[in-house]
Amino acid sequence: MPDVKLVPEKWVDRYSDYLFNYTITRVNDAIKAQDLVSETFLAGLKSAHRFKGNSTERTWLISILKRKIIDHYRKINSNKGKAEVRMSYMNRSRDESGDWMEERVQDLRNPNVEDDIEQKELGEAINECIANLPERYATIFVQKTIDNMETETICKEHDITASNLWVIIHRARVQLMECLNSKWFKNE
Amino acid sequence: MGRFFINCDDASILSTRAHYNDLNSKERFRHNLHKSHCLKCRDFHKKNARFQRGINKLKWVKLTVEEKDRIRQRLLQAMKK
Repeated sequence: MPDVKLVPEKWVDRYSDYLFNYTITRVNDAIKAQDLVSETFLAGLKSAHRFKGNSTERTWLISILKRKIIDHYRKINSNKGKAEVRMSYMNRSRDESGDWMEERVQDLRNPNVEDDIEQKELGEAINECIANLPERYATIFVQKTIDNMETETICKEHDITASNLWVIIHRARVQLMECLNSKWFKNE
Repeated sequence: MGRFFINCDDASILSTRAHYNDLNSKERFRHNLHKSHCLKCRDFHKKNARFQRGINKLKWVKLTVEEKDRIRQRLLQAMKK
């Protein structure tokens, strides 16, 4: 792999959406997800001298983000976090119906809840699989499939022909399908 | 791809392009013709469609310009230090 150099000035444009989607499926809180993305960039900047160039910028940032997400869950699972959950339950107003914790648990038989869970899991699996794609494949796949960008615009940006673009998208999809088969569809 | 019958490599690319509504009528015809006699490509097209349905189900979230600017400012400030 050729030596990869970090370009922090471009991180927000290149990776923020991707990292945000990766995070939101895991933390379920848009504000927290933004904070984690922001903290990831800052941590990346701080430890830039340790980047050896063996992986791509994106893979390296994702590995930092994964640690940040784990730290986030450690924090909320600490005793302080548990106390806050209890307090917020105790502080509920009398007008709110239901006194028991069970009443606050979502009804898993509700199809919308099932859909949400399924979507969240699928989103996590797809993000995980996209993270494993070569950077160029991932960028082009996301631009065409998720951002719905015009073929011509993507070709200009990456200086490739339309046939090259379709070959890249096709290969990305095949790799994603194989990856999802092992993570997701096998459960269907 | 000026010919009538296509090989499996070309058919699989057409299958992918079909999911982005990028095929013209001739290409669609060639692809359908190929699928009519190639079980492997027919199966691949089905898997490709299932994958597309999964992708379509997802809600992709994007950061707004303001949110990106806020992150950028934090990063630029840290870079100046």
